[in-house]
Amino acid sequence: MIQSTSIKTFQYEDKKRFTADRAGLFLGFLLLVALPLLVQSSDYILQVFTHALLLASLALAWNLSGVSGSMSLGHAAFFGIGAYGSALLSLEQGLSPWLTIPISGLFATGVGLIMGLICLRLRGAYFALATLAFVEIPKVITDNWDTVTRGSLGLVGISGLPSLHMGRWHMDFGSSIIHSYYLVFAYFLILLGIVAFVFRSNIRLALQAIREEEFAAESLGINVNRYRLLSLLMSAFFTGVSGACYAHLVRYIEPGLVYSLHFSAVPMIFAICGGRFTILGPAVAALVLYPMDQFIFHPLLPAGHEFLYGAVLILTMLFIPNGFWGRLRKT
Amino acid sequence: MWTTILVSGFSLGSFYTLIALGFALIFGITRNFNLSHGDLLVLAGYVAYGLWKVWGFPFVLTFPVAILVMLPVCLGLQRLFSRLHNPIELNSIVLSFGVAILIQNSMLFAFSGNYRLIGIPILNQGFRVPGFYVSYGQLTLLLLSLVIIGTLYVLMYRTYLGKAMRATIQDKDSAALAGINVTAMGTLAFCIGAVLIGLAGPLYGCIHYLYPSAGHGVTLIAITITIFAGVGRLSTIILAGWTLGLAESFTVVLCGASWREMVSAVLLLTLLAFRPHGIWGKGEG
Amino acid sequence: MDLLQLKSLHKTFNNFCALTNIDFSVSEGEIVGLVGPNGAGKTTLFNLICGRFRPTSGKILFQGIDITDLKPHAICRLGISRTFQSSRPFGRMSTLDNVLVGHIFGKGFSLHTRPEDREMAHELLEIVGIAHKAETMADQLTLSEQRRLDMARALATRPKLLLLDEVAAGFSPVLVKQAIELINRVRDRGVTLLIIDHFLNLSLKVSDRLLALDHGEKVAEGPPHMVMRNRDVLQAYLGLRHQDEEDD
Repeated sequence: MIQSTSIKTFQYEDKKRFTADRAGLFLGFLLLVALPLLVQSSDYILQVFTHALLLASLALAWNLSGVSGSMSLGHAAFFGIGAYGSALLSLEQGLSPWLTIPISGLFATGVGLIMGLICLRLRGAYFALATLAFVEIPKVITDNWDTVTRGSLGLVGISGLPSLHMGRWHMDFGSSIIHSYYLVFAYFLILLGIVAFVFRSNIRLALQAIREEEFAAESLGINVNRYRLLSLLMSAFFTGVSGACYAHLVRYIEPGLVYSLHFSAVPMIFAICGGRFTILGPAVAALVLYPMDQFIFHPLLPAGHEFLYGAVLILTMLFIPNGFWGRLRKT
Repeated sequence: MWTTILVSGFSLGSFYTLIALGFALIFGITRNFNLSHGDLLVLAGYVAYGLWKVWGFPFVLTFPVAILVMLPVCLGLQRLFSRLHNPIELNSIVLSFGVAILIQNSMLFAFSGNYRLIGIPILNQGFRVPGFYVSYGQLTLLLLSLVIIGTLYVLMYRTYLGKAMRATIQDKDSAALAGINVTAMGTLAFCIGAVLIGLAGPLYGCIHYLYPSAGHGVTLIAITITIFAGVGRLSTIILAGWTLGLAESFTVVLCGASWREMVSAVLLLTLLAFRPHGIWGKGEG
Repeated sequence: MDLLQLKSLHKTFNNFCALTNIDFSVSEGEIVGLVGPNGAGKTTLFNLICGRFRPTSGKILFQGIDITDLKPHAICRLGISRTFQSSRPFGRMSTLDNVLVGHIFGKGFSLHTRPEDREMAHELLEIVGIAHKAETMADQLTLSEQRRLDMARALATRPKLLLLDEVAAGFSPVLVKQAIELINRVRDRGVTLLIIDHFLNLSLKVSDRLLALDHGEKVAEGPPHMVMRNRDVLQAYLGLRHQDEEDD
């Protein structure tokens, strides 16, 4: 997957590294596909990787707006709205998650529009601070609007992931851990495809130009406001959808959880550490770091194992600003 | 009701100013946004709690120890920040975000997630003045905060060192050209910040439950006040603190405590949307 | 017809008067030099034409259309493009990508880059002489190369009017000569040029006409040799009273 849109002349070493990347990716992909077969005895491993794939999707979604230079610290707002939207619609109205998940993605897009109108007039650090503050609003409202959202008690008994009937085929993604895994995997792949499409199109050129030199970009014909808003809205939609999936996956949500800094921070960290300028970077970081956190550090440090994310972020900012995968791809 | 709001607003507001001063000073001189500020403060609170609860320290002695702990931490933080490239403001936000996560998890590890409080009974008692009821806790907060702010004021506006700091805040490059050691000013800012955090942390632990993720709200308060005041104005910072304190008290009395967290966020957003350079700042020409 | 018309332009920034009563026109096919000492208001004028700032009063007409209130990207679409004093390359993108941005967004939008787009971008890089650095990251280029990239990028938008901001500042005589050749090549492609040059080493040699500014006011306009003898222009640049200009 070549990042640059121009003709490349390969050096031999480049070609070797390129093939090594490709091989590693393919191997990783195979592992993920075959995972349920490989870990028959352990539900836990499968659950961890289901979450990892969901976080990878969140990271990809965050990067859709991150690539334009908008460093949002408030994506949990979209995640939470998506989670609550879908949970409430399916609980109260009895709608199938096939419907409520995309609809709640639209709710999140709406919130993204509001965030955009308030925050996109700001740049750089001030934009980041504004998004940090912005999350508090849906969080506190959800927390206090007891009559609709049950407030801090949270929502229990959310329906599981939906089932699919196709003629004689019947797949209940909600009841089986293996099926849930594959549904989330499928969603991840779809999102990856969409991100790849956007990043290979001229939209990426515009967003990167905006990030590098906003005024020069505008002087060259790029409608900066429109592109920044577009990238934020796309990002908001998929973050909301991910939040909705999360709600149906864990089946219990509360404001303190889905609007928490965790869901703003961790996708951003994956995107930065993986590589904000690459397609796969955020996903690779998520699929490596989250299992690492759960399998290695969590047993060692039941309390405080998430220090890993802080440490990785600091190391990345100081030593590999382009991200690990970005460095590897030499973008 | 109004007297409650006023008393609470001014005492809490003065404390908020104390909280924000370290953050504002560091930002003014080094242009680093330290998003781990609140977590450092909570850490200082935990240190005080540990000393007071486990080792039976008299509460007053927890302050110097907290300061001594904060000094190396803040200086270490400065070393980290100094390695960042432009744009410093944004990069410092991201870096300190990572630091904040580290600190939160360390506190989670060391103290677990249980809520802790430094319980000093006398603070809950109070006295009546015609029309007002003031608790000793509120009085302490108010007086202590004003004294510390006053000391800082004297430092900033009545000494040559303060003048050098103010010059650096106004224009780093010109200050350097005038012979001021800008790096030393940065170190000084972090040191003063450490002292202020070491003073505010234990106080925080008296009036507020300590838990690992409490720092986030504190950081938000510091950011709001700093942005409200604009860079480099001490008098406006106090005004900002009081405004936030009063706004929060008003909201709590009117709508309930669960709405408190939103006040600083709404205030910050409004400021950033309309007056990112501070309440007296100018818009774009 | 006049390509660009500036009518009674004023620009004030917070009590500072950057430009006062500028009336000027540029005809199609001309090369006009915008000269004046530092702080005269030259870049401010560029910023007004390109839509970065709105004039406090006055009008700007391009091909008869009022562009005074338009935003920069709309103005670019109409056919005005510019370079920057500090080049402002898109640092973490390749040189070719930089030019592609101008090519793709300058006049419209297409979803995907076609091979023809890349070829045209390459061609522009050849015209300015940095085609061998097509794959290099823009922030790795030398200063002179970045200036040329800036020009290629601006040219990629197919402008009718190109504003060059201090394109030869700090250049040695050899580089100035190359810059002049390049500018003439650009003019031969049918582009009208408005060039800021406060060192004068370029504009005197290449301009058809000069517009001289000082402290935000127009002090002279006309052919180079006339403007450079103008008493006020000499006063502005050299601070001298030219005593033998008695013409009353």
